[in-house]
Amino acid sequence: MVHEDYKEMILARALSALDAAEERALNEHLENCDECRKELEEWQATVATLAVVADPAEPSPKVREHILSEVRKDLSAPEVIPFRSTSRNVWRSFGSLGAMAAVVLFTALIVGLVVMWRENNANKDRLAQINEFLQVASRPGARVSELRGVDLGSGATATLAYDKTGHAMLLADKLPRAPQGKAYQLWFIVGKNPPMPGKTFSPDDEGNGVLRDQMPKEALESAIFAITLEPQGGVDAPTGPIYLRSFEVN
Amino acid sequence: MELLKAIAARDEAALAQLYDRYRVILFGLLMRILNNREEAEDVLQEVFLQVWRKADDFDEERGRPFTWLVTLGRSRGIDRLRTLASRERVAEAGAREAVEEVSDAASDAFKSEQRGLVNKALAQLPDEQKSPLMLAYFDGLTQSEIATRLGAPLGTVKTRMRTGLMNLRELLAGQGESFGF
Repeated sequence: MVHEDYKEMILARALSALDAAEERALNEHLENCDECRKELEEWQATVATLAVVADPAEPSPKVREHILSEVRKDLSAPEVIPFRSTSRNVWRSFGSLGAMAAVVLFTALIVGLVVMWRENNANKDRLAQINEFLQVASRPGARVSELRGVDLGSGATATLAYDKTGHAMLLADKLPRAPQGKAYQLWFIVGKNPPMPGKTFSPDDEGNGVLRDQMPKEALESAIFAITLEPQGGVDAPTGPIYLRSFEVN
Repeated sequence: MELLKAIAARDEAALAQLYDRYRVILFGLLMRILNNREEAEDVLQEVFLQVWRKADDFDEERGRPFTWLVTLGRSRGIDRLRTLASRERVAEAGAREAVEEVSDAASDAFKSEQRGLVNKALAQLPDEQKSPLMLAYFDGLTQSEIATRLGAPLGTVKTRMRTGLMNLRELLAGQGESFGF
């Protein structure tokens, strides 16, 4: 598709009326096209006016109480480095009190990746993957989430980076080799909804795995990520054991 | 805008003020989309907790707070609607839940003149343009789903939606500041 094709899709995107594949394609284009992004923002302003057509309605007072109660809990939480900080926009965090936490965690991530590379220093492909990963992680609005090994995946780790369009890259380390006919599959879990399937990957002999995926829109704001062992090619709903998972909602 | 800056600086009172200002319009929008009080209240909570966590994502150069909040609220509402639909738990069409009467103060906050302006603009659109816009905005249908629902070719639906939205913008031209809330 060319630029004009994407421009044709912007109005429908403002109404969230594109099919999933079209929306993903347009989101990728928007990442690099200021003109289309600006046009989308203008149309979103027009579309937003439709909200006032709905009959005004009063929520029950308990909604306000619940929101403020959650906020107070958040404010009274001890000033430690919450895991959630790793998923925040690390660049925006600079300059705030939480900035140091973000810097420390991001630095740790880079150091970890370099160590991982050194352990496999003969592997130029891995270095290229790490470079690619860091590019994704450093895009404006990008988030990074850590997955830890559980049960059969104990000892394994993975790091997932994704930008605001949902372009995601995962690097896994020390995963057991997938048995014949099996592969690891990524899952996106939002609230109590059924897990949404991601792509599959198979680690190399060193246990290093890489996965590039396009996240579903629903998972961009808050999700838990998990990796299970599934039949090669993937399945629509998880059937195998969990090897890795994130432990905080992003 | 100042409220969002204060919220980004962790000001609880600012969030309460923002909630009081926008709850009626956002809850009305969510009720229209979800047609279920419990689900709409749950999503409303999610939206304001997301505002609390993400207020620093708001970029004043990229739009007004009204647009940001409504886009966020509608997006959450449509996501929930699609989840409910996939579980076949969506409410019966037409069985609109009763909503509590809106207080005078809330009505004031709602600013009914904006509602009148948009309704007047929509009334000037032919039904063939208005219907797909409403189905997309409040029912969360994609262009393909709208084509199926209306029994019209996809290309025709795309053209009508596009023309309808362009006409709406033209009809609302000059009213932009009215929606600053």
